[in-house]
Amino acid sequence: MNARAPRSNNAVIQSLAQIGACGLFLLTLLAAIPRSFRYLRETIRQLWFVGAMSLTIIMVCGLFVGMVLMLQLYHVLSIFGGTSASGMVVALSVYRELGPVVTALLFAGRAGTAITAEIGLMRATDQISAMEMMAVDPIAYVATPRFLAGLIAMPLLCCVFCAMAIFGGHLVGVTWLGIDNGTFWANMTAVVDVRTDIINGVLLKSLAFGAVVSLIAVFQGFTTPPTSEGVAYATTRTVVASSIAILALDFVLTAFLM
Amino acid sequence: MSQPRSSYAVGTGLFIVLGFAALAYLATQTSSVANVHQGDSYTVDAQFTNIGQLKERAPVKIAGVRVGQVQSIGLTPGRDVADVKLSIDKRYDHIPQDSVATIFTSGLLGDQYVGIDYGTAKQVVAAGGTLARTKSTQPLEEMLGKFFGAGGVVDNVGGSYSVTADFTNVGTLSVGAPVKMAGVVVGSVQSVRVDPVKLNAQVVLAIDKRYNKIPDDSAAAVFTSGLIGSQYVAIQPGGSPDALKNGDEMILTQSAMQLEDLIGKFLVNGSPSDKKDAGAGNK
Amino acid sequence: MTDPVDAAPDDSTLVRIRGLTTVLGGKTIFDALDMDIARGKVTSIMGPSGTGKTTLLKHITGQMRADAGSILVDGRNVAGLSREQLYKLREGIGYLFQNSALLTDFDVFENVAFPLRQHTKLPEVLMRNLVLMKLQAVGLRGAARLMPNELSGGMMRRVALARAIVFDPKLILYDEPFVGLDPVALNQVLKLILTLNQTLGITSVVVSHELAAVQRIADRVMLLSNGKVVAQGDPKSIADDGSPWTRQFFGGEADGPIPFSYPAGDYATELGFAGATK
Repeated sequence: MNARAPRSNNAVIQSLAQIGACGLFLLTLLAAIPRSFRYLRETIRQLWFVGAMSLTIIMVCGLFVGMVLMLQLYHVLSIFGGTSASGMVVALSVYRELGPVVTALLFAGRAGTAITAEIGLMRATDQISAMEMMAVDPIAYVATPRFLAGLIAMPLLCCVFCAMAIFGGHLVGVTWLGIDNGTFWANMTAVVDVRTDIINGVLLKSLAFGAVVSLIAVFQGFTTPPTSEGVAYATTRTVVASSIAILALDFVLTAFLM
Repeated sequence: MSQPRSSYAVGTGLFIVLGFAALAYLATQTSSVANVHQGDSYTVDAQFTNIGQLKERAPVKIAGVRVGQVQSIGLTPGRDVADVKLSIDKRYDHIPQDSVATIFTSGLLGDQYVGIDYGTAKQVVAAGGTLARTKSTQPLEEMLGKFFGAGGVVDNVGGSYSVTADFTNVGTLSVGAPVKMAGVVVGSVQSVRVDPVKLNAQVVLAIDKRYNKIPDDSAAAVFTSGLIGSQYVAIQPGGSPDALKNGDEMILTQSAMQLEDLIGKFLVNGSPSDKKDAGAGNK
Repeated sequence: MTDPVDAAPDDSTLVRIRGLTTVLGGKTIFDALDMDIARGKVTSIMGPSGTGKTTLLKHITGQMRADAGSILVDGRNVAGLSREQLYKLREGIGYLFQNSALLTDFDVFENVAFPLRQHTKLPEVLMRNLVLMKLQAVGLRGAARLMPNELSGGMMRRVALARAIVFDPKLILYDEPFVGLDPVALNQVLKLILTLNQTLGITSVVVSHELAAVQRIADRVMLLSNGKVVAQGDPKSIADDGSPWTRQFFGGEADGPIPFSYPAGDYATELGFAGATK
């Protein structure tokens, strides 16, 4: 519970210690999964908070990302007379990169910080200790449900994001700029492959990002000093660490999957 | 608190359903699994010898107006012709039987679609019928060939011979730049390097063997196409009875004009002495 | 020093601490501490701030492990229990946190019902009645649907108390129950502690430094300082036992056995005068 990272003066050693502590924390989380089955209701509640409550921002951002992507592509591709390919390019770039990455970044900002701050405050106000005193395992009741909820919510949110981006691209491309509707879909369906783009791109990537973001968020919440200052720093660290982890992991996943 | 508890469950359930609906949408509507039918339609067959880049769901147009889409593309068994099924809206069911289906390209690099030009026959094509008259796609190379004429494009089929030319300044001339005579491409720049002794640019020109009657006192000049266009070497023929041969050097050269020089000459009547001249003077 | 592990359950001592030694961050919190907490009585642990009173409670509940020594709660050694056994033990212990530690996600009713929901599968009707009974005991049945942020500090502490007693524990640990309360709220909490002790026979351990309040409820007072029990006795007589500890603590003197200054090096040396005088 008080798995605080060992202190050291060296920044490199310190970050390594953080990563190590985070990895050990992941093992604790995973080990608590069987015990957290009885808190299924709590997992559902967290799914509501991290998933359903993030839906608005994800949908709005997805729509605008699709719209602006289409607008940019249209202007560049119109130089070569290839505007009809813009729908396909929107779909590919959203499925393979923008969808999972932007969703994960938004998710870290919206849900990750909320998780860190909530757990940090629960520790600052002794709620975690109170749970231990009431013989409720805080890892199984607080940490694992949030982790699982993030894991489940991310792919779903990413799908919604991608669908909204396609819709936004269609809105701008077909309705506004006058690309042929059939060409738009034809090009897209001809190139997008279910296995490489949707399963590997959308689902697998977002699943990995969901795991990383929720792990970092829960870890920061549980290891920060339980003061208002510590919680403030921890939320910042959640966003910074998540963003770096998402982009680095994205490179690794792209290299392996594509 | 029992009502809020269940509302979480309902909301979360809605969220999950929405997520899966989005996934289903992505997987079925925007990927290669997709196959949608829009409204009532009937199917017409058309056979092409070459469909080029035509794809399923590409539009079918009459007089430029979209009337349907390509439903499927297959190869007719036993014959090397493509069998294309066109799904056409029920409203346009009066297509004459002798209409011509042509595969067009929108723009130079655009996508291909099927255009139907109405014929004059009284009978219309029935559902499941065949459009007998088709025009296949034209490969780009053929079109270009027709457009430019047979000998228009310089190639190395006939081989080439090299001549060298020294310039005090080649500007931004690069390897592969065209060599032109009377505006027509006759060869290309093979190499550009600095002569270590004479300290000027030595350019090797590869000229097509067909043009082997160029007088050996011809002049080579580095020109720029337009104000900011790329640079090329122009050969201005001389009057000598002897022709240039492989390995010859062109004596008369005219270097590239620097834009700065040009503007300077233009404005101040050539007063600024540029570095190039100074360097030549030193030598 | 060490008692047999299987002390008789009907022993008059509920919590028996022997040789407890804990070092945290290089600082010795407990130095071979011995303490007995009598069954069915109100025991008050007093002492200056930072002497580890709260830490002692955490040791009793097994939230912290000692470096040496044993803690027997109802005859069971806390340090030797597995997680499941420890959780089983904690179900029989109520703990009132200094800042109440109500779960901010839930309203008052759900906060009190929380331990029941987690550990039992009672029918909803029975659970509702049980929770309302506990809330009635602390006088907050009407506040059942309020959220914790709508409560005053005294109300929060009473809700936390209702939650602590929802399983009818044998032992309640009160961590600074009087801090930050106005006189009315303080008296309400005092009355509740007394009532719970007298009517239900719940053993109570009150950590506090509010002398006046403690004197009204405690059967026995233990004064903790420098990691040891420096004085103990009933609240009336302890102040007069003549030891310098009690004289300073209960007399409120600034300096004495409890030092005014934090341990430091030689003053003159640190200011740089030591060399000058030589």
